[in-house]
Amino acid sequence: MKKQIVVVLFWAVALLLSACTAVQPTAAGGAAAESSKLAQIQAAGKLVAGTSADYPPYESIDENGNFVGFDMDLIRAVGEKLGVEVEIVDMPFDSLIVSVQEGKIDVVIAAMQATAERDKQVDFSIPYRMTKDAFAAVAGTALTMQAPEDAAGKSIGAQTGTVQEGWIQKNLVEAGLTPADQVFSYERADQAALDVANGRIELLLMDAEPALALAQESGLELILITELTAEGGKSIAMPEGASDLKAEIDRIIQELIDDGTVQSIQEANGLP
Amino acid sequence: MEFVQKLVTTFNFIVQGLWVTLGVTAVALAVGLLLGISMAVLRVYGNPFWRSVAALYSVLVRAVPVIVIVFVLFFVIAGFVNLSPFLAGSLALGVASGAYQSEIFRGAFQAVLPGQMVAARAIGMSRRQAIQSILLPQALRLALPSWGNEATLVLKDSTLVFVVGVPEILRRAQQVSARTLEPFVAFGIALLLYLALTLWMTQLLQWVERRYRLQI
Repeated sequence: MKKQIVVVLFWAVALLLSACTAVQPTAAGGAAAESSKLAQIQAAGKLVAGTSADYPPYESIDENGNFVGFDMDLIRAVGEKLGVEVEIVDMPFDSLIVSVQEGKIDVVIAAMQATAERDKQVDFSIPYRMTKDAFAAVAGTALTMQAPEDAAGKSIGAQTGTVQEGWIQKNLVEAGLTPADQVFSYERADQAALDVANGRIELLLMDAEPALALAQESGLELILITELTAEGGKSIAMPEGASDLKAEIDRIIQELIDDGTVQSIQEANGLP
Repeated sequence: MEFVQKLVTTFNFIVQGLWVTLGVTAVALAVGLLLGISMAVLRVYGNPFWRSVAALYSVLVRAVPVIVIVFVLFFVIAGFVNLSPFLAGSLALGVASGAYQSEIFRGAFQAVLPGQMVAARAIGMSRRQAIQSILLPQALRLALPSWGNEATLVLKDSTLVFVVGVPEILRRAQQVSARTLEPFVAFGIALLLYLALTLWMTQLLQWVERRYRLQI
């Protein structure tokens, strides 16, 4: 019995050692490959983009098996500018970062936000779409807003602990524009929407995408959709250190934003 | 009528994953069968060195979750050898299944009476001949019922290959339910497909069992 344990331990150590020595060459090879990532993609004539096709309207698969949605249209537009074909691969969201690190895919486009943790693992392009918030009032309201600060003095609701609630506290209450007793916190956004519909509060500030559906359900009207109250945006992820690819993709995204392409595919996919 | 139409479109979409699921299962079972039989032979009849190799394989692989093996094969090993996601996923399931199958076959080999090896050697067969033509045919028959059980498990483990991007039945069901927001329809169809596959596989193996039963 003792002898068996020794034999098993011996093999376990031997396997571990061989695994450690085996991993090193990839690290070195990987670094060399990344510096010319753009050249590799152009040589292959193909950009392999990973996504998690279960998040409409950003990415999903239609009845005929085609990838559709805002991100899919955008990455195809990027491919066109790069002069390469785009191949889209569906994966679970959790596998995307490691796949781009290991070079299984070239980029990730999956409505992904460039959080600090992710930024340590991969590089992110400039945001191609900023997160947007919506101010909602009861349908047929006489209220109009041009800027978020126009909410000053109105009774306003938001979901507890959200970025939007933080914005109200910081920019309306602490700035002295709205008395603290005019701000209401709700467990859920739909509860706040109910109070707006019943006239108990005048405004609701929340994420713009769910607000679209909620407004329709609860008889609300979105009177202002803005990036000014939100933080961050969605970016394309690529291997760390692929600086030439990042520069090129950043340039293309800026170009697509400037010439209105992003705006039009946004509208085509029903995004606010 | 509209509901039937919806069922048909959903079914048509999900059923495209059927061949992927069948392919992954077939490759995994074949690889597992080869590994399982050879490891069991080494474990039972090998010298101490090979015996320890086979024991280590079985212990290590069974100690690791299958999904981890899929990840290692695709993200580490496929960095050296060019493996498609399909191949990497199926091979990983095969390696995992091989460990379980080696235990099944080990049990089967040990269930054949030891006197038969002695008898075969006594009439002048080599060890290799004795294993090939006396012990293996009996062990295979003994292993069949448990092997059928393992086969249905591998069929269901084939859902794991999606982590490396192979679109099998279950992932296709997820894709539909994300689009239509009707998970019950999508996963219900997936359930029926797996049920049909399992029943079909069980029937097939029962037929094999009857066909090759020993007439004593």
